[in-house]
Amino acid sequence: MNDLSVSVSVPNAPALSGSSQADVPAKVTARGLNFYYGEHHALKNINITLGTNRVTAFIGPSGCGKSTLLRIFNRMYDLYPGQRATGQLMLDQTNILDPKLDLNLLRARVGMVFQKPTPFPMTIYENIAFGIRLYEKISRSEMDGRVEKALRGGALWNEVKDKLNSSGLSLSGGQQQRLCIARTVAVRPEVILFDEPCSALDPISTAKVEELIQELAEDYTIAIVTHNMQQAARVSDKTAFMYLGELIEFDETNKIFTSPNDRRTQDYITGRFG
Amino acid sequence: MADMAVQSDVMEAAGPYDRARALNAFRLGDVTFYWITRACAISVLLILGGIILSLIAGAWPAMKEYGFAFLWTQRWAPSADPPVLGALGPMYGTLVTSFIAMLIAIPVGLGIAIFLTELCPQSLRRPIGIAIELLAGIPSIIYGMWGFFVLGPFLAYTFQPFMIWLCDGIPVLGSIFGGPPSYLSLFNAALILAIMVLPFITAISVDVFKTVPPVLKEAAYGVGCTTWEVVRNVVIPYTRVGVIGGVMLALGRALGETMAVTFIIGNSFRISSSIFAPGTTISAAIASEFAESDGLHQSGLILLGLLLFVLTFFVLAAARLMLLRLEKKAGN
Repeated sequence: MNDLSVSVSVPNAPALSGSSQADVPAKVTARGLNFYYGEHHALKNINITLGTNRVTAFIGPSGCGKSTLLRIFNRMYDLYPGQRATGQLMLDQTNILDPKLDLNLLRARVGMVFQKPTPFPMTIYENIAFGIRLYEKISRSEMDGRVEKALRGGALWNEVKDKLNSSGLSLSGGQQQRLCIARTVAVRPEVILFDEPCSALDPISTAKVEELIQELAEDYTIAIVTHNMQQAARVSDKTAFMYLGELIEFDETNKIFTSPNDRRTQDYITGRFG
Repeated sequence: MADMAVQSDVMEAAGPYDRARALNAFRLGDVTFYWITRACAISVLLILGGIILSLIAGAWPAMKEYGFAFLWTQRWAPSADPPVLGALGPMYGTLVTSFIAMLIAIPVGLGIAIFLTELCPQSLRRPIGIAIELLAGIPSIIYGMWGFFVLGPFLAYTFQPFMIWLCDGIPVLGSIFGGPPSYLSLFNAALILAIMVLPFITAISVDVFKTVPPVLKEAAYGVGCTTWEVVRNVVIPYTRVGVIGGVMLALGRALGETMAVTFIIGNSFRISSSIFAPGTTISAAIASEFAESDGLHQSGLILLGLLLFVLTFFVLAAARLMLLRLEKKAGN
């Protein structure tokens, strides 16, 4: 991580280090992005750039479209009829909204961790190996190595190394969530989307997951939706504030939390609405 | 303050007496309710025990006469003197027709369920769902007639010759599909059974597939699974217990189905290597002979019924065992 995130690791006390990251290469770029649930216009003209290996947090009151935006990044909305997106959304040089795009490949490049832990109904080992096997044919010993690496990446290895053959469902909520993160990491994505990853976790598990997110940012581009403003301040480099389907303000995290430009951002982070 | 003191005095005066009486009334209701529900539950046990006992009593003469040899005797000659009775033919027919029926109905039923829940466009979902429910509502005698007049000729003159041509010269398959053409056959009965149990498997599978949390499926799609991989690795493992329950229900129906099978199986106690030859099942044998039977013959038929009971019990027990082992393997 860079110096910024270290300095904002104390809640509500963002340091005043300068906004010196404008030159990070873009990973995901949205231009004039709109989204519709049937007739309902849920996202309006979103323009945003996620920097490579940066953590971008999305905050805003419920129903403002944060999760919806996240679900466009890996085309998860495609599973449901009547939902559609217009505009431009690029992952490096790939047009994410291209109807001919191979969705399985896209989702391998853009992993997702959900609000509730979602271990598959299989063993811990298989939970990790499953995703890898979809893309690679590798030997058992190689797979063992990859599973260990992924579980270490998910900061879970020491807790589960003796019970890799137990069900993933036997773990505690926090462990399950880290298992899901490990599973996502195992596929070697480029971008990881976190949709309120800590909302079902206790404070200790939350701290572990947050720490993990910071570590992951060394290798991955991360987008995180959160209702917890301290969390956004702790883990993210940049923060986007959304309201009623619009992107109100997008800037360096410490700028958003200390001197936001928009009145509505100011009101939201000080708890006046939302 | 004074008001409250007055109020609480009044409450105390009226309260305890009334409350105790009300509680007593509740208690009486509770006790009655407890005994009514308990009687309902116990009546099931009594009925089950009664059926088993009366079956055993009815089958006793035949059991004494034939002993365990009843199980592996193929000959069924009730009018011989003394009558020779053996259950091998009907048992074989019951198991083979049910096995073939499940072999066809499980993949097709699950296929329909997967299509309906995962792939089907919204506009087709209702019509197909309703058609399957209607399939369950057709009386079994209709299936029997249809099997006799439509499926029988087709199987005898089109399908069997094709299979014979296909398997010509292959040792085992040749004899499985061989033999003279016949409208009435094990395979015809198995096919009808497959159609009859299909709605059970499909309806239950659809219901349990719908219980898979969308977020779990999204997670699987999220690591890049195709629909097939999601179904195979997430939906089916998650719903395994329910699906197997549906399959067992279907199997129970297939083992015991009588009317349609009696119509089209041919009632032959001889075991033939060909599935296109006539045969019989336990329930078909009982249905077609019971009315004209007496003495040892009738007792033998009741013993057949008892066997079906035991057979069904063992199949269900085996299914439970399989389920337990699957759970262990999954690490639960």
